[in-house]
Amino acid sequence: MISIESLTFQYEGSTEPAVKDITLNIEDGGFFGIIGPAGAGKTTLARALCGIVPHHYKGDFYGSVTVDSMDTVDSKMTDICRVVGMVFQDVESQIISSVVEDELLYGLENYGIPHEEIEERMDFALREVGIEDLRYRTIASLSGGQRQKVAIASVIALRPKVLLLDEPTGELDPGSSRQVFGLLKTLNEKYGITIVVIEQKIMLLSEFAKELAVMSGGSMFCHGPVREVLKRARELEEIGVNCPRVASLAQNLHKEGLLKTPVLINVDEAEAAVRRLIS
Amino acid sequence: MKDLFQYTAGDSVIHKLNPLTRILLAVAVCAAAFVSDNLYYLVGLLCFDMLLGLLAGVFGKALSLLKGLLKISIFLFILQILFVRKGNRVFWIITDQGLILAAKVVLRLMIACIPLALMLAVTQISDLANALVQVAHVPYKYAFTVTTAIRFIPQFMEEMADIMEAQTARGVEFDTKNGLKKIGMMLPLCVPLLVTSVRRTDAAAAAAEARGFELRNRTSGYKKYPFHWCDLLAVLVCAALIAGAVII
Ligand SMILES: Nc1ncnc2c1ncn2[C@@H]1O[C@H](COP(=O)(O)OP(=O)(O)OP(=O)(O)O)[C@@H](O)[C@H]1O
Ligand SMILES: [Mg+2]
Repeated sequence: MISIESLTFQYEGSTEPAVKDITLNIEDGGFFGIIGPAGAGKTTLARALCGIVPHHYKGDFYGSVTVDSMDTVDSKMTDICRVVGMVFQDVESQIISSVVEDELLYGLENYGIPHEEIEERMDFALREVGIEDLRYRTIASLSGGQRQKVAIASVIALRPKVLLLDEPTGELDPGSSRQVFGLLKTLNEKYGITIVVIEQKIMLLSEFAKELAVMSGGSMFCHGPVREVLKRARELEEIGVNCPRVASLAQNLHKEGLLKTPVLINVDEAEAAVRRLIS
Repeated sequence: MKDLFQYTAGDSVIHKLNPLTRILLAVAVCAAAFVSDNLYYLVGLLCFDMLLGLLAGVFGKALSLLKGLLKISIFLFILQILFVRKGNRVFWIITDQGLILAAKVVLRLMIACIPLALMLAVTQISDLANALVQVAHVPYKYAFTVTTAIRFIPQFMEEMADIMEAQTARGVEFDTKNGLKKIGMMLPLCVPLLVTSVRRTDAAAAAAEARGFELRNRTSGYKKYPFHWCDLLAVLVCAALIAGAVII
Protein backbone atom coordinates (compact mmCIF):
# COMPACT_ATOMS: atom_id res chain seq x y z
CA MET A 1 0.00 0.00 0.00
CA ILE A 2 2.69 2.47 1.05
CA SER A 3 6.36 2.07 0.31
CA ILE A 4 9.06 4.47 1.37
CA GLU A 5 12.50 4.28 -0.26
CA SER A 6 15.43 5.98 1.50
CA LEU A 7 13.41 9.07 2.34
CA THR A 8 15.32 12.09 3.61
CA PHE A 9 13.60 15.43 4.14
CA GLN A 10 14.90 18.75 5.36
CA TYR A 11 12.49 21.63 5.98
CA GLU A 12 13.24 24.84 4.14
CA GLY A 13 15.30 27.06 6.41
CA SER A 14 16.40 24.40 8.89
CA THR A 15 19.95 23.09 9.09
CA GLU A 16 19.34 19.41 9.66
CA PRO A 17 17.08 16.86 8.02
CA ALA A 18 13.96 16.08 10.06
CA VAL A 19 13.89 12.51 8.73
CA LYS A 20 16.92 10.63 7.47
CA ASP A 21 17.16 7.68 5.11
CA ILE A 22 13.92 5.97 5.98
CA THR A 23 12.89 2.79 4.20
CA LEU A 24 9.61 1.21 5.16
CA ASN A 25 6.79 -0.86 3.75
CA ILE A 26 3.26 -0.68 5.04
CA GLU A 27 1.05 -3.58 4.00
CA ASP A 28 -2.51 -3.23 2.81
CA GLY A 29 -4.90 -3.85 5.71
CA GLY A 30 -2.20 -3.58 8.35
CA PHE A 31 -2.27 -1.89 11.74
CA PHE A 32 0.99 -0.02 11.96
CA GLY A 33 2.31 1.85 14.99
CA ILE A 34 5.03 4.48 15.03
CA ILE A 35 6.70 5.48 18.27
CA GLY A 36 9.65 7.62 19.28
CA PRO A 37 10.72 10.45 21.58
CA ALA A 38 9.75 14.11 20.93
CA GLY A 39 11.38 15.59 17.85
CA ALA A 40 12.14 12.17 16.38
CA GLY A 41 10.52 13.14 13.09
CA LYS A 42 7.29 11.18 13.48
CA THR A 43 5.05 14.01 12.36
CA THR A 44 7.34 14.77 9.43
CA LEU A 45 7.17 11.12 8.32
CA ALA A 46 3.39 11.22 8.59
CA ARG A 47 3.29 14.39 6.51
CA ALA A 48 5.38 12.66 3.87
CA LEU A 49 2.97 9.70 3.77
CA CYS A 50 0.05 11.88 2.72
CA GLY A 51 1.94 14.26 0.47
CA ILE A 52 1.75 17.33 2.71
CA VAL A 53 5.52 17.00 2.62
CA PRO A 54 6.72 18.17 0.08
CA HIS A 55 3.58 19.78 -1.38
CA HIS A 56 2.67 22.08 1.50
CA TYR A 57 5.84 22.10 3.60
CA LYS A 58 8.64 22.80 1.15
CA GLY A 59 12.21 21.63 1.54
CA ASP A 60 14.83 19.20 0.22
CA PHE A 61 13.24 15.87 -0.54
CA TYR A 62 15.34 12.80 -1.38
CA GLY A 63 14.19 9.26 -2.01
CA SER A 64 10.63 8.35 -2.82
CA VAL A 65 7.26 7.67 -1.24
CA THR A 66 4.75 5.60 -3.19
CA VAL A 67 1.13 5.45 -2.09
CA ASP A 68 -1.28 3.11 -3.87
CA SER A 69 1.16 3.15 -6.84
CA MET A 70 1.24 6.97 -6.96
CA ASP A 71 4.57 8.70 -6.46
CA THR A 72 3.77 11.44 -3.94
CA VAL A 73 6.09 13.98 -5.55
CA ASP A 74 4.59 13.64 -9.02
CA SER A 75 0.96 13.32 -7.96
CA LYS A 76 -1.36 16.05 -6.79
CA MET A 77 -1.64 16.38 -3.02
CA THR A 78 -5.42 16.12 -3.14
CA ASP A 79 -5.19 12.78 -4.97
CA ILE A 80 -2.88 11.37 -2.33
CA CYS A 81 -4.95 12.73 0.54
CA ARG A 82 -8.01 10.92 -0.77
CA VAL A 83 -6.19 7.63 -0.31
CA VAL A 84 -4.41 8.52 2.92
CA GLY A 85 -6.68 10.43 5.30
CA MET A 86 -4.73 12.15 8.05
CA VAL A 87 -5.88 13.18 11.52
CA PHE A 88 -3.49 15.87 12.69
CA GLN A 89 -1.61 16.17 15.97
CA ASP A 90 -3.21 19.52 16.77
CA VAL A 91 -6.92 18.81 16.47
CA GLU A 92 -7.81 22.43 17.28
CA SER A 93 -6.23 23.73 14.12
CA GLN A 94 -7.63 20.92 12.01
CA ILE A 95 -11.26 21.66 12.83
CA ILE A 96 -12.60 24.28 10.45
CA SER A 97 -16.27 24.58 11.27
CA SER A 98 -18.14 25.51 14.40
CA VAL A 99 -20.73 22.73 14.20
CA VAL A 100 -20.01 18.99 13.96
CA GLU A 101 -22.17 18.39 10.88
CA ASP A 102 -20.40 21.11 8.91
CA GLU A 103 -17.03 19.70 9.83
CA LEU A 104 -17.99 16.40 8.22
CA LEU A 105 -19.45 18.17 5.21
CA TYR A 106 -16.32 20.16 4.47
CA GLY A 107 -14.19 17.38 2.98
CA LEU A 108 -17.16 15.69 1.32
CA GLU A 109 -18.13 18.90 -0.43
CA ASN A 110 -14.60 19.70 -1.52
CA TYR A 111 -13.93 16.29 -3.00
CA GLY A 112 -17.13 16.60 -4.98
CA ILE A 113 -18.92 13.62 -3.48
CA PRO A 114 -22.34 13.52 -5.20
CA HIS A 115 -24.85 15.29 -3.00
CA GLU A 116 -27.19 12.29 -2.84
CA GLU A 117 -24.36 10.22 -1.38
CA ILE A 118 -23.37 12.74 1.28
CA GLU A 119 -26.11 11.95 3.79
CA GLU A 120 -25.23 8.25 3.77
CA ARG A 121 -21.53 8.93 4.23
CA MET A 122 -22.16 11.26 7.15
CA ASP A 123 -24.37 8.67 8.81
CA PHE A 124 -21.68 6.05 8.29
CA ALA A 125 -18.93 8.17 9.80
CA LEU A 126 -20.98 9.36 12.77
CA ARG A 127 -22.22 5.86 13.51
CA GLU A 128 -18.86 4.11 13.28
CA VAL A 129 -17.23 6.69 15.52
CA GLY A 130 -20.23 6.57 17.85
CA ILE A 131 -21.07 10.27 17.88
CA GLU A 132 -24.49 10.31 16.20
CA ASP A 133 -25.84 12.31 19.11
CA LEU A 134 -23.27 15.07 18.59
CA ARG A 135 -24.24 15.83 14.99
CA TYR A 136 -25.80 19.26 15.64
CA ARG A 137 -23.61 20.30 18.57
CA THR A 138 -21.17 23.20 18.37
CA ILE A 139 -17.49 22.27 18.48
CA ALA A 140 -16.93 24.71 21.33
CA SER A 141 -19.25 22.69 23.56
CA LEU A 142 -17.34 19.40 23.09
CA SER A 143 -14.69 17.79 25.27
CA GLY A 144 -11.21 16.99 23.96
CA GLY A 145 -12.09 13.35 23.39
CA GLN A 146 -15.25 14.25 21.52
CA ARG A 147 -13.34 16.68 19.30
CA GLN A 148 -10.85 13.95 18.52
CA LYS A 149 -13.70 11.71 17.43
CA VAL A 150 -15.17 14.45 15.27
CA ALA A 151 -11.80 14.86 13.56
CA ILE A 152 -11.63 11.10 12.94
CA ALA A 153 -15.21 11.03 11.65
CA SER A 154 -14.55 13.90 9.26
CA VAL A 155 -11.67 11.94 7.76
CA ILE A 156 -13.32 8.51 7.53
CA ALA A 157 -16.36 10.08 5.87
CA LEU A 158 -14.04 10.43 2.89
CA ARG A 159 -13.53 6.63 2.93
CA PRO A 160 -9.74 6.65 2.69
CA LYS A 161 -7.89 3.37 2.20
CA VAL A 162 -5.36 4.38 4.82
CA LEU A 163 -6.15 6.23 8.04
CA LEU A 164 -3.14 8.07 9.41
CA LEU A 165 -3.33 9.50 12.93
CA ASP A 166 -0.74 11.69 14.62
CA GLU A 167 -0.88 11.16 18.39
CA PRO A 168 -4.66 10.84 18.53
CA THR A 169 -4.65 10.22 22.28
CA GLY A 170 -2.17 12.94 23.19
CA GLU A 171 -4.65 14.87 25.30
CA LEU A 172 -6.99 12.09 26.33
CA ASP A 173 -7.39 10.18 29.57
CA PRO A 174 -6.62 6.42 29.57
CA GLY A 175 -10.28 5.48 29.18
CA SER A 176 -10.89 7.62 26.09
CA SER A 177 -7.52 6.56 24.66
CA ARG A 178 -8.57 2.91 24.74
CA GLN A 179 -11.87 3.85 23.15
CA VAL A 180 -10.10 5.52 20.25
CA PHE A 181 -7.91 2.48 19.71
CA GLY A 182 -10.93 0.20 19.93
CA LEU A 183 -12.49 2.30 17.20
CA LEU A 184 -9.36 2.00 15.04
CA LYS A 185 -9.41 -1.75 15.52
CA THR A 186 -13.02 -1.92 14.32
CA LEU A 187 -12.25 0.18 11.25
CA ASN A 188 -9.29 -2.04 10.52
CA GLU A 189 -11.07 -5.36 10.93
CA LYS A 190 -14.54 -4.50 9.66
CA TYR A 191 -13.65 -2.32 6.69
CA GLY A 192 -10.06 -3.33 5.99
CA ILE A 193 -8.83 0.24 6.38
CA THR A 194 -5.06 0.31 6.83
CA ILE A 195 -4.23 2.06 10.10
CA VAL A 196 -1.01 3.98 10.67
CA VAL A 197 -0.89 5.54 14.11
CA ILE A 198 1.76 7.61 15.84
CA GLU A 199 1.44 7.06 19.56
CA GLN A 200 3.45 7.61 22.73
CA LYS A 201 1.55 5.10 24.85
CA ILE A 202 3.38 1.89 24.13
CA MET A 203 0.93 -0.25 26.08
CA LEU A 204 -1.80 0.66 23.61
CA LEU A 205 0.42 0.10 20.60
CA SER A 206 1.69 -3.26 21.78
CA GLU A 207 -1.85 -4.39 22.35
CA PHE A 208 -3.51 -3.13 19.17
CA ALA A 209 -0.81 -2.74 16.51
CA LYS A 210 0.51 -5.61 14.46
CA GLU A 211 3.69 -3.91 13.39
CA LEU A 212 5.77 -1.28 15.10
CA ALA A 213 8.36 1.22 13.91
CA VAL A 214 10.61 3.02 16.38
CA MET A 215 12.08 6.37 15.35
CA SER A 216 14.85 8.30 17.01
CA GLY A 217 16.63 11.46 15.95
CA GLY A 218 15.08 11.42 12.48
CA SER A 219 16.14 7.85 11.70
CA MET A 220 14.37 4.53 11.81
CA PHE A 221 15.70 2.78 14.91
CA CYS A 222 14.02 -0.52 14.15
CA HIS A 223 10.78 -1.90 12.81
CA GLY A 224 8.96 -5.18 12.51
CA PRO A 225 6.22 -7.22 14.15
CA VAL A 226 5.38 -5.94 17.62
CA ARG A 227 6.86 -8.94 19.42
CA GLU A 228 10.13 -8.66 17.55
CA VAL A 229 10.47 -4.99 18.40
CA LEU A 230 9.60 -5.48 22.06
CA LYS A 231 12.38 -8.02 22.42
CA ARG A 232 14.73 -5.06 22.32
CA ALA A 233 13.17 -3.45 25.39
CA ARG A 234 16.57 -2.60 26.86
CA GLU A 235 17.70 -0.64 23.79
CA LEU A 236 14.35 1.09 23.49
CA GLU A 237 14.64 2.38 27.06
CA GLU A 238 18.00 3.86 26.12
CA ILE A 239 16.60 6.02 23.34
CA GLY A 240 13.77 7.18 25.59
CA VAL A 241 10.92 4.85 24.69
CA ASN A 242 9.39 3.35 27.79
CA CYS A 243 8.52 -0.27 27.37
CA PRO A 244 5.48 -1.83 28.99
CA ARG A 245 6.32 -3.26 32.39
CA VAL A 246 5.11 -6.66 31.24
CA ALA A 247 7.79 -6.56 28.52
CA SER A 248 10.57 -5.93 31.06
CA LEU A 249 9.12 -8.60 33.31
CA ALA A 250 9.13 -11.06 30.43
CA GLN A 251 12.73 -10.22 29.59
CA ASN A 252 13.87 -10.73 33.15
CA LEU A 253 12.04 -14.05 33.47
CA HIS A 254 13.44 -15.12 30.13
CA LYS A 255 16.97 -14.30 31.21
CA GLU A 256 16.53 -16.35 34.37
CA GLY A 257 15.42 -19.20 32.15
CA LEU A 258 11.95 -19.29 33.65
CA LEU A 259 10.11 -18.25 30.54
CA LYS A 260 10.44 -19.60 27.02
CA THR A 261 9.25 -16.57 25.04
CA PRO A 262 11.10 -13.33 25.67
CA VAL A 263 8.00 -11.18 25.04
CA LEU A 264 4.65 -10.73 26.73
CA ILE A 265 2.53 -7.96 25.28
CA ASN A 266 -0.32 -7.49 27.70
CA VAL A 267 -1.39 -8.04 31.25
CA ASP A 268 -3.50 -11.11 30.40
CA GLU A 269 -0.55 -12.89 28.85
CA ALA A 270 1.66 -11.96 31.77
CA GLU A 271 -0.89 -13.20 34.28
CA ALA A 272 -1.21 -16.53 32.50
CA ALA A 273 2.57 -16.92 32.34
CA VAL A 274 3.07 -16.09 36.01
CA ARG A 275 0.27 -18.44 37.06
CA ARG A 276 1.90 -21.24 35.10
CA LEU A 277 5.23 -20.52 36.78
CA ILE A 278 3.76 -20.58 40.27
CA SER A 279 1.76 -23.75 39.89
CA MET B 1 -14.89 38.64 26.13
CA LYS B 2 -13.88 35.31 24.59
CA ASP B 3 -17.37 33.90 24.25
CA LEU B 4 -18.36 37.06 22.41
CA PHE B 5 -17.11 35.53 19.19
CA GLN B 6 -18.46 32.09 19.90
CA TYR B 7 -21.39 30.87 17.88
CA THR B 8 -24.68 30.67 19.75
CA ALA B 9 -27.01 28.05 18.28
CA GLY B 10 -30.75 28.60 18.06
CA ASP B 11 -33.68 28.78 15.70
CA SER B 12 -34.78 32.39 16.07
CA VAL B 13 -35.98 34.61 13.23
CA ILE B 14 -32.47 35.98 12.93
CA HIS B 15 -30.97 32.47 12.70
CA LYS B 16 -33.35 31.80 9.81
CA LEU B 17 -32.16 34.78 7.79
CA ASN B 18 -29.64 34.31 5.04
CA PRO B 19 -26.16 34.94 6.50
CA LEU B 20 -25.64 37.75 4.03
CA THR B 21 -28.88 39.41 5.08
CA ARG B 22 -27.70 39.37 8.68
CA ILE B 23 -24.53 41.18 7.75
CA LEU B 24 -26.53 43.60 5.61
CA LEU B 25 -28.76 44.29 8.60
CA ALA B 26 -25.75 45.12 10.75
CA VAL B 27 -24.26 47.36 8.09
CA ALA B 28 -27.56 49.14 7.55
CA VAL B 29 -27.84 49.96 11.26
CA CYS B 30 -24.31 51.37 11.24
CA ALA B 31 -25.01 53.42 8.14
CA ALA B 32 -28.24 54.78 9.60
CA ALA B 33 -26.39 55.78 12.76
CA PHE B 34 -23.88 57.84 10.83
CA VAL B 35 -26.41 59.40 8.48
CA SER B 36 -28.93 60.41 11.12
CA ASP B 37 -28.52 63.65 13.04
CA ASN B 38 -31.57 63.31 15.25
CA LEU B 39 -31.03 62.47 18.89
CA TYR B 40 -34.36 60.67 19.29
CA TYR B 41 -33.82 58.66 16.15
CA LEU B 42 -30.42 57.59 17.46
CA VAL B 43 -31.98 56.49 20.74
CA GLY B 44 -34.49 54.56 18.64
CA LEU B 45 -31.67 52.87 16.73
CA LEU B 46 -30.01 51.82 19.97
CA CYS B 47 -33.31 50.28 21.03
CA PHE B 48 -33.40 48.54 17.66
CA ASP B 49 -29.94 47.07 18.40
CA MET B 50 -31.27 45.68 21.64
CA LEU B 51 -34.37 44.38 19.86
CA LEU B 52 -32.08 42.52 17.44
CA GLY B 53 -30.32 40.95 20.40
CA LEU B 54 -33.67 39.95 21.88
CA LEU B 55 -34.92 38.49 18.58
CA ALA B 56 -31.71 36.52 18.09
CA GLY B 57 -31.91 35.14 21.61
CA VAL B 58 -28.64 36.74 22.67
CA PHE B 59 -29.97 39.63 24.74
CA GLY B 60 -27.48 38.87 27.50
CA LYS B 61 -24.66 39.25 25.02
CA ALA B 62 -26.09 42.56 23.81
CA LEU B 63 -26.21 43.83 27.40
CA SER B 64 -22.66 42.79 28.14
CA LEU B 65 -21.51 44.50 24.93
CA LEU B 66 -23.28 47.65 26.05
CA LYS B 67 -21.61 47.40 29.45
CA GLY B 68 -18.22 46.90 27.80
CA LEU B 69 -18.72 50.05 25.73
CA LEU B 70 -19.77 52.11 28.74
CA LYS B 71 -16.26 53.06 29.90
CA ILE B 72 -15.04 54.38 26.58
CA SER B 73 -18.43 56.08 26.08
CA ILE B 74 -18.12 58.04 29.30
CA PHE B 75 -14.61 59.08 28.33
CA LEU B 76 -15.77 60.24 24.90
CA PHE B 77 -18.75 62.03 26.41
CA ILE B 78 -16.62 64.06 28.81
CA LEU B 79 -14.14 64.90 26.09
CA GLN B 80 -16.92 66.18 23.85
CA ILE B 81 -18.68 68.37 26.43
CA LEU B 82 -15.38 69.95 27.38
CA PHE B 83 -14.38 70.84 23.84
CA VAL B 84 -17.59 72.01 22.22
CA ARG B 85 -17.86 75.79 22.60
CA LYS B 86 -21.01 76.54 20.62
CA GLY B 87 -24.48 77.04 22.11
CA ASN B 88 -25.78 78.45 25.37
CA ARG B 89 -23.89 77.78 28.51
CA VAL B 90 -25.66 75.39 30.89
CA PHE B 91 -23.14 75.51 33.71
CA TRP B 92 -19.40 76.15 33.97
CA ILE B 93 -18.01 75.70 30.42
CA ILE B 94 -20.59 73.18 29.38
CA THR B 95 -23.04 74.16 26.66
CA ASP B 96 -26.37 72.69 25.64
CA GLN B 97 -25.10 71.98 22.13
CA GLY B 98 -22.06 70.31 23.60
CA LEU B 99 -24.26 67.98 25.59
CA ILE B 100 -26.36 67.07 22.58
CA LEU B 101 -23.35 66.52 20.34
CA ALA B 102 -21.64 64.40 22.97
CA ALA B 103 -24.74 62.29 23.38
CA LYS B 104 -24.92 61.78 19.62
CA VAL B 105 -21.29 60.71 19.33
CA VAL B 106 -21.66 58.22 22.15
CA LEU B 107 -24.91 56.85 20.78
CA ARG B 108 -23.40 56.42 17.32
CA LEU B 109 -20.46 54.54 18.76
CA MET B 110 -22.74 52.16 20.63
CA ILE B 111 -25.16 51.67 17.75
CA ALA B 112 -22.37 50.95 15.30
CA CYS B 113 -20.44 48.50 17.48
CA ILE B 114 -23.21 46.27 18.70
CA PRO B 115 -25.03 44.83 15.66
CA LEU B 116 -22.03 43.39 13.82
CA ALA B 117 -20.86 41.61 16.97
CA LEU B 118 -24.39 40.31 17.58
CA MET B 119 -24.81 39.04 14.04
CA LEU B 120 -21.43 37.30 14.14
CA ALA B 121 -22.49 35.66 17.39
CA VAL B 122 -25.49 34.00 15.74
CA THR B 123 -23.82 33.26 12.41
CA GLN B 124 -21.64 30.26 11.81
CA ILE B 125 -18.48 31.44 10.16
CA SER B 126 -18.61 28.56 7.70
CA ASP B 127 -22.16 29.52 6.71
CA LEU B 128 -21.02 33.06 6.12
CA ALA B 129 -18.16 31.84 3.94
CA ASN B 130 -20.41 29.46 2.01
CA ALA B 131 -22.98 32.18 1.42
CA LEU B 132 -20.32 34.64 0.32
CA VAL B 133 -19.08 32.09 -2.20
CA GLN B 134 -22.45 30.82 -3.41
CA VAL B 135 -24.54 33.97 -3.42
CA ALA B 136 -22.10 36.85 -3.61
CA HIS B 137 -19.67 34.95 -5.92
CA VAL B 138 -16.64 35.78 -3.77
CA PRO B 139 -13.69 33.47 -4.66
CA TYR B 140 -13.41 30.78 -1.98
CA LYS B 141 -9.78 31.63 -1.22
CA TYR B 142 -10.72 35.12 0.00
CA ALA B 143 -13.74 33.93 1.91
CA PHE B 144 -11.57 31.30 3.62
CA THR B 145 -8.92 33.85 4.57
CA VAL B 146 -11.46 36.11 6.24
CA THR B 147 -13.26 33.31 8.03
CA THR B 148 -10.01 31.74 9.23
CA ALA B 149 -8.95 35.06 10.73
CA ILE B 150 -12.25 35.28 12.61
CA ARG B 151 -12.02 31.64 13.66
CA PHE B 152 -8.61 32.14 15.20
CA ILE B 153 -9.47 35.20 17.31
CA PRO B 154 -10.81 33.19 20.28
CA GLN B 155 -7.86 30.80 20.06
CA PHE B 156 -5.38 33.66 20.11
CA MET B 157 -7.13 35.20 23.06
CA GLU B 158 -7.03 31.90 24.89
CA GLU B 159 -3.33 31.52 24.16
CA MET B 160 -2.62 35.09 25.27
CA ALA B 161 -4.50 34.43 28.50
CA ASP B 162 -2.43 31.25 29.02
CA ILE B 163 0.83 33.10 28.50
CA MET B 164 -0.23 35.90 30.83
CA GLU B 165 -1.26 33.42 33.48
CA ALA B 166 2.12 31.74 33.24
CA GLN B 167 3.84 35.12 33.60
CA THR B 168 1.64 36.13 36.53
CA ALA B 169 2.61 32.90 38.24
CA ARG B 170 6.23 34.04 37.89
CA GLY B 171 5.46 37.32 39.61
CA VAL B 172 4.69 39.71 36.75
CA GLU B 173 1.91 42.02 37.92
CA PHE B 174 -0.50 42.31 35.04
CA ASP B 175 -3.25 43.56 37.27
CA THR B 176 -1.67 46.99 37.48
CA LYS B 177 -4.02 49.96 37.16
CA ASN B 178 -1.61 51.78 34.85
CA GLY B 179 -2.75 51.02 31.31
CA LEU B 180 0.48 52.12 29.62
CA LYS B 181 2.54 49.99 31.94
CA LYS B 182 0.31 47.01 31.24
CA ILE B 183 0.73 47.41 27.50
CA GLY B 184 4.48 47.67 28.01
CA MET B 185 4.46 44.35 29.83
CA MET B 186 2.25 42.64 27.27
CA LEU B 187 4.19 43.63 24.16
CA PRO B 188 7.17 41.28 24.65
CA LEU B 189 4.68 38.42 25.01
CA CYS B 190 3.34 39.07 21.55
CA VAL B 191 6.47 37.66 19.96
CA PRO B 192 6.12 34.07 21.23
CA LEU B 193 2.40 34.34 20.56
CA LEU B 194 3.12 35.33 16.97
CA VAL B 195 5.59 32.48 16.48
CA THR B 196 3.20 29.78 17.72
CA SER B 197 0.38 31.43 15.80
CA VAL B 198 2.22 31.32 12.50
CA ARG B 199 2.99 27.61 12.93
CA ARG B 200 -0.57 26.86 13.93
CA THR B 201 -2.06 28.81 11.07
CA ASP B 202 0.27 26.96 8.73
CA ALA B 203 -0.83 23.63 10.21
CA ALA B 204 -4.45 24.68 9.79
CA ALA B 205 -3.80 25.55 6.16
CA ALA B 206 -2.13 22.16 5.62
CA ALA B 207 -5.11 20.40 7.20
CA ALA B 208 -7.55 22.31 5.01
CA GLU B 209 -5.49 21.49 1.94
CA ALA B 210 -5.51 17.81 2.86
CA ARG B 211 -9.28 17.92 2.84
CA GLY B 212 -9.46 19.36 -0.62
CA PHE B 213 -9.40 23.10 0.00
CA GLU B 214 -8.21 23.75 -3.53
CA LEU B 215 -10.96 21.76 -5.18
CA ARG B 216 -13.73 23.77 -3.58
CA ASN B 217 -15.79 26.00 -5.81
CA ARG B 218 -19.15 27.69 -6.01
CA THR B 219 -21.06 24.49 -6.64
CA SER B 220 -19.42 22.46 -3.84
CA GLY B 221 -21.77 23.50 -1.03
CA TYR B 222 -24.24 20.87 0.14
CA LYS B 223 -26.32 23.37 2.06
CA LYS B 224 -28.00 26.01 -0.05
CA TYR B 225 -28.55 29.58 1.03
CA PRO B 226 -31.75 30.73 -0.67
CA PHE B 227 -33.50 33.99 0.12
CA HIS B 228 -36.88 33.71 1.86
CA TRP B 229 -39.66 36.16 2.49
CA CYS B 230 -38.12 37.01 5.86
CA ASP B 231 -34.97 38.11 4.03
CA LEU B 232 -37.10 40.40 1.90
CA LEU B 233 -38.65 41.74 5.06
CA ALA B 234 -35.22 42.35 6.56
CA VAL B 235 -34.07 44.17 3.45
CA LEU B 236 -37.16 46.38 3.68
CA VAL B 237 -36.35 47.08 7.31
CA CYS B 238 -32.82 48.05 6.29
CA ALA B 239 -34.13 50.42 3.64
CA ALA B 240 -36.61 51.92 6.10
CA LEU B 241 -33.87 52.43 8.71
CA ILE B 242 -31.68 54.35 6.28
CA ALA B 243 -34.56 56.25 4.75
CA GLY B 244 -35.69 57.23 8.25
CA ALA B 245 -32.20 58.45 9.04
CA VAL B 246 -32.11 60.63 5.95
CA ILE B 247 -35.59 62.11 6.41
CA ILE B 248 -35.78 62.68 10.17
N1 LIG C 1 7.18 23.30 9.88
C1 LIG C 1 8.45 23.07 10.25
N2 LIG C 1 9.44 23.86 9.80
C2 LIG C 1 10.72 23.64 10.15
N3 LIG C 1 11.12 22.65 10.96
C3 LIG C 1 10.18 21.82 11.46
C4 LIG C 1 8.79 21.99 11.12
N4 LIG C 1 8.08 21.02 11.74
C5 LIG C 1 8.98 20.29 12.43
N5 LIG C 1 10.24 20.74 12.27
C6 LIG C 1 11.47 20.19 12.86
O1 LIG C 1 11.64 18.84 12.42
C7 LIG C 1 12.10 18.02 13.48
C8 LIG C 1 11.19 16.82 13.66
O2 LIG C 1 9.93 17.28 14.10
P1 LIG C 1 8.61 16.40 14.13
O3 LIG C 1 7.50 17.33 14.39
O4 LIG C 1 8.55 15.59 12.89
O5 LIG C 1 8.88 15.47 15.37
P2 LIG C 1 7.87 14.55 16.21
O6 LIG C 1 8.52 13.24 16.35
O7 LIG C 1 6.52 14.61 15.61
O8 LIG C 1 7.84 15.26 17.61
P3 LIG C 1 6.65 15.38 18.68
O9 LIG C 1 6.61 14.12 19.44
O10 LIG C 1 7.06 16.55 19.51
O11 LIG C 1 5.38 15.66 17.90
C9 LIG C 1 12.18 18.90 14.72
O12 LIG C 1 13.52 19.25 14.91
C10 LIG C 1 11.34 20.11 14.36
O13 LIG C 1 11.84 21.27 14.97
MG1 LIG D 1 4.66 15.21 16.20
